[in-house]
Amino acid sequence: MRYGIAFKLGLLLATFGVVAMGIVGYYSYTTSRATLLSAAQRDLLTATQVLGRNFKTSIDGVADDAMLLASLPTTPAIVGAEGQTQTATDREKKVLSDTFAAMMALHAEYFQIRLIGAGEHGQELVRVDRDADKLAHVPIADLQEKAHYSYVFNTLRLGRGQVYLSDITINHEEGVHSGLHKPTLRVATPVVADDGRVLGLIVINLDLNGLFARLQSDLPNTYQLYLSNHWGDYLIHPDPAQAFGFDQGRRIFIQEFFEPVASLISGQRASVVTSIEGAQQSQDGLVAAFVRLPFGGSVDKHFVILGLSQPLENVVRETRRLGWTTVQMILALGAMAVVVAALVSRAVTGPLRNMVDAVGQFSKEQVVSELPTSDNDEIGLLAHSLNDMQATIVANLRELNESRQALKHLAQHDPLTALPNRALFIDRLGQAISQARRDQTCMALMFVDLDGFKAINDTYGHHVGDCLLITAAQRMESCVRNVDTVGRLGGDEFVVLLNHVEKDVDAVLVAEKICQALHQPFELEGHHMDISSSIGVAIFPEHGSDEVTLSRSADAAMYQAKESGGNRVRLFGA
Amino acid sequence: MISRLLTILVAGLALSLPSLAVETLRVLTWPGYADSDLVKAFENKFDVRVEVSFVGSDEVLREKIGANQGGNFDVFAANTAEMQHYIGHKLVMPLRLSNIPNTAQQLPRFRNVRSIPGITQLGEIYAVPYTYSEMGLIYDRKQFEQAPTSLSVLWDPKYRGRVLAFDTSSHNFSIAALALGAKPFRIEEKKFKAVVDHLIALRRNVLTFYTLPEESVELFRNHSVAVMFANYGGQQLKLLRDAGADVGYVIPVEGALAWLDCWAVTRGAGNRDLAERWINYMLDKHVSGELTRRQGLSNTLEVDTSTQESDKIIWLEPVENDKRRAALWGRIISGDLPKQF
Repeated sequence: MRYGIAFKLGLLLATFGVVAMGIVGYYSYTTSRATLLSAAQRDLLTATQVLGRNFKTSIDGVADDAMLLASLPTTPAIVGAEGQTQTATDREKKVLSDTFAAMMALHAEYFQIRLIGAGEHGQELVRVDRDADKLAHVPIADLQEKAHYSYVFNTLRLGRGQVYLSDITINHEEGVHSGLHKPTLRVATPVVADDGRVLGLIVINLDLNGLFARLQSDLPNTYQLYLSNHWGDYLIHPDPAQAFGFDQGRRIFIQEFFEPVASLISGQRASVVTSIEGAQQSQDGLVAAFVRLPFGGSVDKHFVILGLSQPLENVVRETRRLGWTTVQMILALGAMAVVVAALVSRAVTGPLRNMVDAVGQFSKEQVVSELPTSDNDEIGLLAHSLNDMQATIVANLRELNESRQALKHLAQHDPLTALPNRALFIDRLGQAISQARRDQTCMALMFVDLDGFKAINDTYGHHVGDCLLITAAQRMESCVRNVDTVGRLGGDEFVVLLNHVEKDVDAVLVAEKICQALHQPFELEGHHMDISSSIGVAIFPEHGSDEVTLSRSADAAMYQAKESGGNRVRLFGA
Repeated sequence: MISRLLTILVAGLALSLPSLAVETLRVLTWPGYADSDLVKAFENKFDVRVEVSFVGSDEVLREKIGANQGGNFDVFAANTAEMQHYIGHKLVMPLRLSNIPNTAQQLPRFRNVRSIPGITQLGEIYAVPYTYSEMGLIYDRKQFEQAPTSLSVLWDPKYRGRVLAFDTSSHNFSIAALALGAKPFRIEEKKFKAVVDHLIALRRNVLTFYTLPEESVELFRNHSVAVMFANYGGQQLKLLRDAGADVGYVIPVEGALAWLDCWAVTRGAGNRDLAERWINYMLDKHVSGELTRRQGLSNTLEVDTSTQESDKIIWLEPVENDKRRAALWGRIISGDLPKQF
């Protein structure tokens, strides 16, 4: 009974409850995590696409500025007029230079604006550099030849209104002031004469980091920006050391860390989302979205990869809280499950327990306790059967007891008079002697013999004799106290036992009283008859200190009474 | 130029700091010398981690090895001309050839290390040859009826805007000097201005100066390039032919500069034995063979048949003043006019 059915049932129910809770909790945790993740990826992708559009819009704005500068009347005049009156062009250069400066004052991300001639090996004609917080109008003596740079020879192939975007590189051109060794995007457009000849180009050097710092300012500051060229070399990376690796003789590719980006580079897709679980300690998880932005001239079909990432931690923080809530719920519900299981199992096993108790009590004390049988189920049926069984057993037992009592009575009493028989009387005599010896008191034993009984038996028959014996027994019993005993030894011999006799005479008085009672006439079966009795009295311990001696003394006294003519009492030794 | 190199130096330092793991071999080499599958095989064979960093120019290599007394890398590849710099600055350790048994399989001219200038000093061997390449001229067969013969084709106004040169200081000064009939590695002071002017003339004749071999392929395709100075030699030729270009390759009569890249162990090497094992692995027949097969570079184990006996090969030597060349080159490529020098 160490692990009762209640315990086992409760354990089973509780386990089932907790496991079910756990599964539901885990499922809802993973589902909501996936939902949050994909929602975050969608948000990031949207943000990236918007950022990409803003980037394009910004570039378009720069291109518009470049085209505006290219279309100013002074611009082709300067390029076309090389070699004409020096003073006139000098004046026009001054005007254009001021225009450049005014534009750069408006646009903090412009590093440099130049007018470069198509001839003279790409000779710079007008150049304004940003130099810290000043603008430097570069003197003619410091102007350089740029024809061998890709932004020059590619732009010179274009027509009016077309724009060339250079690959984004670190600008190592010496003498460029603030733009030196900075990530730079060059936006260039040709300067075209009325006859369609390309005379030169306007180049605006754009501060890539400055531009993105502005674009990124609208985004949450947990978002991190990535930009790569069409080979996958990082141009912008949250860790600046990872950007422009190729400029330092090593290549760090975006697709090596964000593997799905390879499909953007190969052109299979236009956007990807990905998440990187923080497997290593040094690397936290990321959710990221990337888009491929066509970029630059149509000849080389270049593009950039723009991406935003967000720490996975931020995204799944909600999920973590949900997970914690789930754990708490599981704990609470688990505890509840244990309680409910305990209650349920008690409800189920309570009646069983009651039956067990009832059966236990029944077998111990034979007390019938009524079991509740109101339930119409198996347990009710079982209780019902147990009740029936108890009732049957009790009835049988009672019958058995009664017959045993009857047998015992039969063994110890005279069937005719219902007085104790010899066996019971000897037993009581022994007890009375022991009692008297212990209490140091006296007790009396009388032998009573009916005189002339044989004649009545012979005259009126045994039936009348028996009736007389019964009546005589009743008369004797009426003469003694309840504590005293009248017994029949057989035939017409009776014995009387008087407990606690003060004096001899008290016993003799009782004997006299019995003798008189028996001497009263009997009316039996229509016959009138008189008998008498001879009574011998012996006192303990005076006339015998044990059963045998005392009986012999009483017997002897009775014979003396009989021999003296009967109808009298004789005290032993008197 | 100096500040650019400083930037690189600082970046190199920053990058190499987290890589100081216990059994890590830090290799600094050139693209194509240590493909990831071959590196992986080495890692598995010796149960180590290999960190490979690549360089694109001798200048960057010098700065990276020079930083932290060579302590940022264990083993690197440099050409013979550069080795004297590393030996002179005590940035490299003598090699124990007994630890590099594969050297016994090299061709006699490479096995006889003492005959190769620049890699020994005071009887100690500091570098083991690995691969070599001469810098010839690659030309478009469609634009040349006859293959060009002289370096002067780079200056030929007929091909103006269709010439590609390489963005590097030392070699450009050397080939300009060669084209002028001067000594390539020891330009005399009085001839310096002429060489600078000649480089400006080159600048005015080229389409552009390229940096990466892939870049030269892209430019070749998109801008009908006629001839280019092949800084990457056979490697570059293979890349162009793989891209479908109909190109030829010549060694100019003035001679072709040729580099012989050797492996050396830095004085700051964490595990000298491991570094030497790496060198031995690089001289394995399979690994050296793969270099030739994949990159079109000649290895030191098999006889090369692409160049002829009569071709004039000029092994690279240290130049008179590389800092000066670099500073001048920075201004030349930025577009300074002759009068500004």
